[in-house]
Amino acid sequence: MQQKKGYVSFVLHAHLPFIHHPESDDYLEESWLYEAISETYIPLLTNFQKLVDEGVDFRITMSMTPPLLSMLDNKLLQRKYIKYLKKLIDLSEKEVIRTAGDERLNKLSHYYLDRYSNDLHLFKDVYKCDLISQFKHFQDIGVLEIITCGATHGYFPILYVNEKTVKAQIAVGVQTYERYFGRKPRGIWLPECGYVPEADKYLKEFGIDYIITESHGILYADPTPIYGTYSPIVSPEGVVAFGRDMESSRQVWSSINGYPGDFNYREFYRDIGYEADYDYIKPYIAHNGVRVHTGIKYHRITGKTEYKDYYDLQWAMDSAQKQAGHFLDCRTNQINDIASVMDKPPIILCPYDAELYGHWWYEGPYWLYILFKKIYYDDCNFQLITPSEYIDKYPEIQVASPCRSSWGANGYSEVWLNQTNDYAHKHLHVAGDRMCELAYNYPYAKGLKKKALNQCARELLLAQSSDWLFIITNGTMVDYAKKRIKDHIGRFNKLYYQIKNDEIDEDFLKDISKKDCVFPDIDYNLYR
Amino acid sequence: MPRKAKDNEEIKNTKKSTPSTKTLNSKKVETSKKSANKKETTSASTKKKETQTTSKSTKTKKASTSSKTAKKETSKKSTKASTTRKKQTRPAINEYYDLPEKYNQTVVKVLAQTPKTLFIYWEISDNDIENYKKQYGENFFETTRPVLIIHNDNLNYSFEVEINDFANSWYLHINDSKSNYRIELGRRPINIHSEIKSDYIYIASSNKIESPNDHILFNTSQKMIYFRNIKTQQEIQKPISSLSFIRNMGKIYDIYDIYKELYKNENDFNNLSNPSSHISSQFK
Repeated sequence: MQQKKGYVSFVLHAHLPFIHHPESDDYLEESWLYEAISETYIPLLTNFQKLVDEGVDFRITMSMTPPLLSMLDNKLLQRKYIKYLKKLIDLSEKEVIRTAGDERLNKLSHYYLDRYSNDLHLFKDVYKCDLISQFKHFQDIGVLEIITCGATHGYFPILYVNEKTVKAQIAVGVQTYERYFGRKPRGIWLPECGYVPEADKYLKEFGIDYIITESHGILYADPTPIYGTYSPIVSPEGVVAFGRDMESSRQVWSSINGYPGDFNYREFYRDIGYEADYDYIKPYIAHNGVRVHTGIKYHRITGKTEYKDYYDLQWAMDSAQKQAGHFLDCRTNQINDIASVMDKPPIILCPYDAELYGHWWYEGPYWLYILFKKIYYDDCNFQLITPSEYIDKYPEIQVASPCRSSWGANGYSEVWLNQTNDYAHKHLHVAGDRMCELAYNYPYAKGLKKKALNQCARELLLAQSSDWLFIITNGTMVDYAKKRIKDHIGRFNKLYYQIKNDEIDEDFLKDISKKDCVFPDIDYNLYR
Repeated sequence: MPRKAKDNEEIKNTKKSTPSTKTLNSKKVETSKKSANKKETTSASTKKKETQTTSKSTKTKKASTSSKTAKKETSKKSTKASTTRKKQTRPAINEYYDLPEKYNQTVVKVLAQTPKTLFIYWEISDNDIENYKKQYGENFFETTRPVLIIHNDNLNYSFEVEINDFANSWYLHINDSKSNYRIELGRRPINIHSEIKSDYIYIASSNKIESPNDHILFNTSQKMIYFRNIKTQQEIQKPISSLSFIRNMGKIYDIYDIYKELYKNENDFNNLSNPSSHISSQFK
């Protein structure tokens, strides 16, 4: 067996904004969660289990953000997910009949029927609707390290104008983690990898050992890190920062030649929600009759052509295996090169959005499974590691201040601050200041006032989600994102005046507390 | 994870924006003359407006999104059916909010958008507006023009940018990354013969920010490298000359240049489609 010269660390960032509408079934946005459960979270869990069953020793790190945890834990959303699955199974059954005349299509429709039926079985009977405990289990047996994130994925480089709002994002992120995983998180995924040195002292205060930054968070650090991103650095305040490895990240998600673009992979945009006969598909699309994705997709990417061939599971799996081999070879070579010019074993950190795996890149979870198996069985020169294990093994770390950075386009704040969304920032800032003012003025509130103050904190946090700003920049679902900013700021300001004037409307408070029910244990005194 | 469901969304959320949001988004404030008048009329109600927005605008909103509200009503019935546990349902609270146009505070805030671009927004409270008029005359805002003074506290220089009263925010190009900046909002008289004696009236100062760094620093004068054992907190310094591999540091950094060049066109806004990051949905 050859000596291990270095390490590779996979970090998957699992995040969705808090979307919870008990008041209506009409919000298409709620289905993001259901799709992510079926396409990403369950496939990751089943592949982790397969690896464990097969005796493969592997390591993976996942950040599970507080809003995602809150949604996975939400009874209403769990029921809605089951309803969603049942509808999909119903559609799949119809598809089996509809496609009976076409052997290839029929095989695929059977596949979807099996797959969604299995999801329902797993979710209800095996997982008992509790996905969080499933992930926790893999953490408890030592193959998965779960880290936390900012409370609502608030983007620090915008919020830190009022540092207490950053502190609260960190505090609630850590508290939510403890609530679900029964211990403190060692690492945090900074929302959007948005790094500001001003946050370090709060990260330390809440016991965070390490953060993940974009490559130039390390490369442009001061002084220049001698190992580049192949080793972490530690900030003067004592926060360890890992930088994303450029080469491996790009290999996976490059829009030009990344793995997910393989011609044998499933084509995301060809969905029977758009293609099937309208009257036939109508019960399975949006309530208002608008065509949406159903999750049943029959085509493969095929090529740069409008004509799309049918999807073939075996071909897709073959491609995934080939690419896993390619990735393994590339890392082996990379580690060979780098280890020869370093005096300690390099770490190659590969962070991705978890939802890339399975949701966007349908075959992604399978690719990971094959890759991890290969790393374990092939005699390669590296092994998988979590960031915690690496710093425990190599605690001597160069001191340097990471560079202010993010993983958004062009590496700084343009995605979350540009002419499409910059109208929102003053409202976020004012609400942050007002929250601090309330916490300062009513430190020992009780009863209704305390409830109102805690709800103010929830509204503020929800308004701060970087997702709304991102969606506005991105240009899809813009109205929804704008409405969310307006709603949370509106609810916050209304409550702010009600608290100040001592005229809290109990019905109103109850109503919004039911809608925005994230972080039940929050304590507004965080903002003091 | 919004899909390419643009069309759906546009249909679903039928034009909701009210004129007031439009003005907000286009970030225009009235000319000083107009705004002065307007402010007088609205200033008293500004606070109220904020608290009352909900109730006041609910009606108009209802009318404009009647289809949606109608839908809500019906869907509520169906949720009721599915969630039989909770039998009693209170009448739904109708909510509609617009973002406040002003918060009636005098403030200047600055954020770094990129290492070379700052974003600045500001507001002057009604009270302060009145005070300036009292002190410098009713026409203070017509006889002066607004300016931003940018102070670089590291390199110790300042420069001034003329802005206008139509704007309440500004993107500003700066020359120096990794520098501390502060912004000052002030006004300068248009004509010297006005009642205003001074040639500059200070209004407010911003928070301080540091513009991000945008390059590899490679400090050649650095003789020592500092390490910390994060378990023992022991700090160790090593002279650069003692680290034999350091001559290969260039090799490590060369790689990044190659990749930067290779993928320079990939961070394209049009390619973004995942709200949690920047994953391209166009895999082709």
